[in-house]
Amino acid sequence: MTQKSTDLKTLSASLGAIAKPEERELALKLEEHAAIQAELAERELKAEDLRAELGAFEKQYLHHVGTLYAELDELKAQIAARRAEANPSDQKAKSFACDARTRAEETKASAGEKSDVAPRSFEATLEMKRLYREVAKRIHPDLASEAADRSRREVLMAEANGAYESGDETRLTKILTGYEHSPEAVKGDGAGADLVRVIRRISQAQARVVELDAETAKLLQSDLYKLKAHLDEAKALGRDVLSEMAAKVAEQIARAKSQLDKVTAMR
Amino acid sequence: METIEKPAAGGIVVRKNGAQGLAVRSAALIRRGIEDLSRESNWTRKPAFVGKASKVALSSHGNVCAISAETRGTAPRVTIYDLHNSFGQMALAVPGETPALAKHLPASFAWSRTGSYLAGAWAAWQPAIHVFDLDGKEFTGAFGKFQKLPSHVAWSPDSVYIAAATIGGKSASLRLWASGLRGAPPMEDAPLAQAGLPDWLERQTYEAEFGEEGAFHGYGNTVFSPDGKRIASVVEIQGEWADDAILIAEVPWLRRVQSFQAQGHVSDLTWLAGGDALVYCAASRAYRLDFEPLESQQLPFDAEFCVAHPTLPLLACYTSWQQDSAKGHLFIADLRTNTRYDECEADGVVEIRWSEDGAKTYAVSKDGMAYIYEPDFL
Repeated sequence: MTQKSTDLKTLSASLGAIAKPEERELALKLEEHAAIQAELAERELKAEDLRAELGAFEKQYLHHVGTLYAELDELKAQIAARRAEANPSDQKAKSFACDARTRAEETKASAGEKSDVAPRSFEATLEMKRLYREVAKRIHPDLASEAADRSRREVLMAEANGAYESGDETRLTKILTGYEHSPEAVKGDGAGADLVRVIRRISQAQARVVELDAETAKLLQSDLYKLKAHLDEAKALGRDVLSEMAAKVAEQIARAKSQLDKVTAMR
Repeated sequence: METIEKPAAGGIVVRKNGAQGLAVRSAALIRRGIEDLSRESNWTRKPAFVGKASKVALSSHGNVCAISAETRGTAPRVTIYDLHNSFGQMALAVPGETPALAKHLPASFAWSRTGSYLAGAWAAWQPAIHVFDLDGKEFTGAFGKFQKLPSHVAWSPDSVYIAAATIGGKSASLRLWASGLRGAPPMEDAPLAQAGLPDWLERQTYEAEFGEEGAFHGYGNTVFSPDGKRIASVVEIQGEWADDAILIAEVPWLRRVQSFQAQGHVSDLTWLAGGDALVYCAASRAYRLDFEPLESQQLPFDAEFCVAHPTLPLLACYTSWQQDSAKGHLFIADLRTNTRYDECEADGVVEIRWSEDGAKTYAVSKDGMAYIYEPDFL
């Protein structure tokens, strides 16, 4: 257990024994804050898991299949160009060639360059998940009550997301301990100010939970998720659908190459 | 380059690559993968129009011209439907058009090769051929005077000529007009050439066997050769057991070059890409007809409709009957190997057309179901 959460519990327990109404209210709000803090961390973890899984899957898809589509569309553009060159008076052929070239460029831009190393799928260890939860509880921007602290938390949270997606446990630990030992982590200006701060934090955290739910729902409805879900189901049955898709496009590429040879030979 | 996007107050902390999120950038490729994954065959089917139409015409861009009649309480209209856009439809109107009171009036339509022009005749219009410029979305004009509406209309590949075939026994004819488009002479009511009663045709007498005589009924399905220099037209002979003939004539004079007696009634005919042969369907069978020497050869598949690929030795065919199947079939036939492949169950198909570049085939049934054949690569 961290120093800060011990302090909060001690504060909450000692406040409960004190008779002042704002202090009793602060004790109740601190308990509520602790609960929403835990819930927010859990939701943030789930959303980040989903983002990271889909991001990694997207990279794999583009690496294995997307780049093949780019190669196929490039061949189709070349075939259309050869046909247009062979029939210079055919305006339709010219138009087909122009459309095919545009499509090839679009596909190439979408697929990106193929890297030498195949991207891996995302898998977080239990320790990574635990660390991420702690980070979200401690440094989530929506748990800040001052503008300067919030800005700092936003940067740190983005760094934490990056560390989580890349599976960098050391970096995640460093972000957490770095913030815990920073001067911004030290609080306290009396019960009244603490109460206002806690109420604001709870409100921000609740709003963020709603946002996360909406974002997660949107991701779950995306084509990317549907494709991944389909591939995961097939994988459970022993099928590697990503490879099957790549093989299908590779067949089309082979046919396109043969067609390009024929069209070129006819010139 | 990887960037960190700072959110507005209360916003989401999201990492993005470059200016555009990956999920957005790759959306089209993801959709393409999903479509390819779910595609079990190279055929897709989709409703083109509501109701039934005995006469439809398909363009090389996937536009269907049909008489839409089927919203209760509304008069039938000639309507263009776009197979690639469910919401794309356009009703055609001509000057002096009166609301059609009956459904299924005689009609005949044909698209030009590029899909830019449509020519047609409909019993609710004046008895003439009406021409529309679909690119310019305008009615170009009408020509010809018909006692009986044409049973078939055809465009020459360069859109310069329009041919119309009519039935009606001794008054039947095959006529050719200049379209008035693309530098052609202006439209006139009088045709450039006309073929009437085929005096070259032998009278068919089957009295001994079937107690009926085959008599000249008129001209039917008509198609120009790929180079536009010849025209092939079915010479229809009346009588259940009669044999139709095929007339090959020169354009624009309609002088007979060759003729051929088929076996049975010819339901469709198409020129092969090189123009040195055609394929016709008679009595539900497919035949190849070579011109030099004039020789017919039965192909090893049944078909009632067939359309040749614009450049490759392929046919897109439809047969309503197939052994061990209650349904009709669309399929592709490879004339190099005389084999059929890429079959698709389909009923009531009345028109088939290849796209201009030969990458797709469109087919449509009389009840408005459209079939699109789009192989990975041809």
